[in-house]
Order: sequence, then C-alpha cells, then structure tokens
Amino acid sequence: MPIRNIVYRHLEHGGDLTALSDYEASGGWKALETATAHMERDDVLYALHRSVLRGRGGAGFPMGRKASFIPKDAEKPVYVVCNADESEPGTFKDRAIMEHNPFQLLEGIALAGYAIRSRHGYIYIRGEYEHQARALDRALEAAYSAGHLGPDAHGPGEPFDITLHRGAGAYICGEETGLLESLEGKRGQPRLKPPFPAVAGLWESPTLINNVETLASVPPIIEHGADWWAQMGTEKSTGVKIFSVSGHVMRPGNYEIVLHDTSLRELIYDICGGFRPGRDFKACWVGGSSVPVLTKEHLDVALDYESLQAAGTFLGSAGCIVMDDSECIVRATLRLAEFYRHESCGKCSPCREGTMWMVKLLDRLVNGEGRPEDVDLLLKVSGRIQGRVLCALADGAVAPIASAVHLFPDEFAEVARNGSPPPTPMIESTAGAAA
Amino acid sequence: MNADQVNAYLAPLRDRYPESRALILPALKYAQTEKGWLDLEDLEAVAEATGLTSAYVESVASFYDRLYLRPTGRRIVSVCVTLSCMLRGSDQLYARLCDLEGLPPEGGTSEDGGVTIQTAQCLGYCDKAPCVQVDVDETEGPVLPDEAEEFLAKVRAAAQPTEVWR
Repeated sequence: MPIRNIVYRHLEHGGDLTALSDYEASGGWKALETATAHMERDDVLYALHRSVLRGRGGAGFPMGRKASFIPKDAEKPVYVVCNADESEPGTFKDRAIMEHNPFQLLEGIALAGYAIRSRHGYIYIRGEYEHQARALDRALEAAYSAGHLGPDAHGPGEPFDITLHRGAGAYICGEETGLLESLEGKRGQPRLKPPFPAVAGLWESPTLINNVETLASVPPIIEHGADWWAQMGTEKSTGVKIFSVSGHVMRPGNYEIVLHDTSLRELIYDICGGFRPGRDFKACWVGGSSVPVLTKEHLDVALDYESLQAAGTFLGSAGCIVMDDSECIVRATLRLAEFYRHESCGKCSPCREGTMWMVKLLDRLVNGEGRPEDVDLLLKVSGRIQGRVLCALADGAVAPIASAVHLFPDEFAEVARNGSPPPTPMIESTAGAAA
Repeated sequence: MNADQVNAYLAPLRDRYPESRALILPALKYAQTEKGWLDLEDLEAVAEATGLTSAYVESVASFYDRLYLRPTGRRIVSVCVTLSCMLRGSDQLYARLCDLEGLPPEGGTSEDGGVTIQTAQCLGYCDKAPCVQVDVDETEGPVLPDEAEEFLAKVRAAAQPTEVWR
C-alpha cells in the first residue's frame, strides 16, 4: 500500500506525539531551530515557493505564492492564521493532526510566521472540536514552557506567539474572510475580495491564512528540503496529501498518499476495502461535498489536482464521500443541498434564497411530489446562483447538484415520476483505520 | 452570569488581541457555561465586559449554532445527519432517539428537561458514522440505531458538568 506518514508523523512513530519529549525525539522542532539559526526568513519563503505546496483546505492555492504576497515592510503587524474550522462534509483529516500530532502544526505555524516576519499566529478551531482544542491547549502550554514559542521562538529576542481561538458552530467560518470576521468578534460573514487577506486581513493587517494540513506540511519540507517534497507527485501536485474516506466503504479513515501515485479505484477498493458483498460503486464526492460528483467511469482517475480537474471535479479538501448502488442519487443530493441551506450565512440573496429553493425542489422530487420539469428548474435556479455571490459557498452548493443532474439524468427523471425508493442505509460497525 | 465573572475569565486573554471585540466569542462561550444557554443578563454581561452593546452581542450570538438563546435540556445531544452519516443510518438513529424521548420528528427538549435532541451538520467524525456529540464532549461513533436506548441511558446517568461547554 502506498501509504506515507509524513504529516501523520505519529503513525510513523507508532503512537501519539502529544508529549513534547516524544515529538522532539521524533525530530520535532529541528526544522524551526535550523530555520531560525541558519536560514534567512526569505530562504524559508523561497523553500515554500519551490516545494509547490498547495493549500489543503480546498482552494489549492500554492502556499509559497500566497506567503510572497505579504508585504515585507508592512507598518502594521503581520499575522499567520491557521484555519482549523474543518467542517467540509466528509473531511476529518485535520482532526487527527491536532489530536495526535499537535506540535507539528504549532511548528509549522511558527515556521510560516518566521517566513513572513510575523510575531503572532492564531488558530481558529471549530467549536465542535473542543476535544481537539484541549489537545492543542496542552501542546501550546508545553511548547511555551520549553521555549519553542514565546519571547525567543524565532531566535534570541525574536518572539512568536500562538493564540487558540474557538468558534461556535458555523461552516462559513472556514471561508477565510468569514473566519477573519468571526475572529474579530463579528458575525462570520465573508468579505468582498479584493482586498485579499495578504494585503488587508485580520484587523486590516497583512495576514497569511492556511489550513491545518498545509501548515503541518511545512516542518518536513524545511527539514528535508523543498526538492524532496517536490519530487513526490507531479509538477503541480507535489508531495503527500491526506484523504479522508467515508460513506459505504468497508474501511473508512484517513489515508496519507503521494499525489498522483494512486487512482480513485485503488483508494476505494485496495486501501478502503471496497464495498459490502453484492454492492457496487455508484458515486463519489472526492474533494468534500462542494465539488462535482464522480461516477463509475471516473474510477481510474489519478488522485492529484490536475487529473481530478480534467475529470470534471476538484481535489478540494480530499474529503472523499463514497456511495454504493444502495442509495438514490437524488436523496443524497438533497442531503447536501440541505447542508448548504443551513450553512448559507444569508449575506448574498442568490445563495440565501437559492439554496432554499434547491432544497424545496429536491425535497418534492424525493417525496414523489415532483414534476418532470422540476429537474430543469433545479438547473435554472442553480445557474442563477453561481458567480453572483461573494464567496465559494454557493458555488460549492451548486457543484454537487448540477453535476448529479447531468451525470444521472435517467435517475432524476425516474425520481421525478415516482419519487425516491425508501432509504436503505448501511447500518453496521466497521472498523475504521487508525489515524 | 455577571460582568465581573466574565471579566475575570477574559483577564488572561486580553493581551492576546488588539481589540476587545475579539473577546466576544470567548466571552459568550464562557457565559453560556453557567446554565447551558444565554439570557439577556448574560448578553449584557458580555456587552459590558467587551465594551459593546447588548444588541450587538446578540446579533453575533444569533449567528452561531452552538450559542443558545433559548432554554435547552441539561445535556444537548447533536446527531450528525450530513451525507456520510446519512449513508450509515443517522436518520434512523435520530428518529429512534426522538422516539425514545417522546419528541416529534424535528427533535426538541424532553419533557423532564433532561436532554435536547437536535440534528447537526457534519461533525468531522465521518469515519465513525453515524456519530453523535453530547455538548462538546468528544464525538462518539458509530452509534447504531439499536444502541440509541443504551446511549441515552448513559447520557442521562452521567454527572452534570459544573461548566456546561457547548
């Protein structure tokens, strides 16, 4: 199995790295020590750039390029913000990092801070992850006691602090500007861009925002070098990536693999054990739920940014939700539509109203009260949402719905005539993978 | 909760933020620990401690799912019903939990005030579907529909925490 344990260093170590001594013994904090003692800040920035590490939260923007947008002579303080608001349906990779390998995240934040001349980082963690927040609290306390963070974190007299900030339940706070609003003590409603956070982010200061997995990838890149990272995968999809796999597979869990080396088929059948006897693959949302759905004909796609885009979808957060042929695609699509309706922040009318109408249309299809023309109406409504809103939430809501209508036209037509068949969920305890 | 209590909680956090407005969420979460939800007095205490109006504080509080502006049960049971959990029987689990507590299909608070049953959007435990979270305790799963009665008995038997983090 092509599993690697680079971001999940604890799996390589053979146990949790929640004790500082264990993390140090596994080589932890050496990257920060080396960087602050022997590398200029711009050298770290350049290493991130050359690694072509792409943001792991969903958008996939190269981290080094984003960091290079931070002005080097900013008058205001510069901030690093770690997006730990992991709420994308099907995504649970960051949870395991924070719970089992929290110091690697802290070290990554400190390294990112060093690269952009920042003295203060914030971790914004979703309120539901209190268990993980407490793991981070303990890790922060230990890292401060040992001097890895605090007054001399970036070298003698060069401070770096990290503050953990807890959310209170709102998916939209994972959108970077919604997060900044929430962190500032406001309703978590996204801002109009530009200005981008690198120019005017937290308290209108230059701000680098990255996902937990992205930042936790930084220490190994600095330790082993950008070339080592970049030789894994392809030119534009470098390094390792954690896939969270859930749904109808036999072995749901988090799996860290080299980008491009594994196909969707291998992930589902070889790594995750495939399906129950008598069941077959039907659909998969490979990048969380805010992406177009894939069908059987896409099973041989390689898991990397470019290949998935060529297949008509996105790598996204790599929260891979897999469904077998026991479930109705319209019912599954309705469930996703309900998610976006609930999580729409209400700021933009097309999203606030449109997500509601998409749920109404899908709901009456599923319940056998639909009309054949409702399927087209659904596409029309979705077309009036896309591109008419401030943030990516509404586009994320439309992607799985419009793609399902296009890829499963016969089933939508059948459900429009007769409603969805009764649900038959897979109710059994299956052993997940350790992560 | 009063403003002095909120201020005492916020004291060590103040130098972490350049503006006191950023303390609203920590303050609201803390104010809620007293009885598990926020009344007008709590909102006013947070307003006083952060230097904002109670109307503003309420407008922030009303944005977040895990801040409650109405009375709740002693424990809140949040059942994830997003796609990964739906595929693994979350709807059947939710229906069973509501049924056992004599609640309508949309959930609510049990007659004795012991538990509130509510749906939740993806809790990030999709590998353990269907999953359930009690207040902010670590999310558990899989909790199969057949195990609903046992699960509720466990929730009801557990000692009430002194601070109700939600």
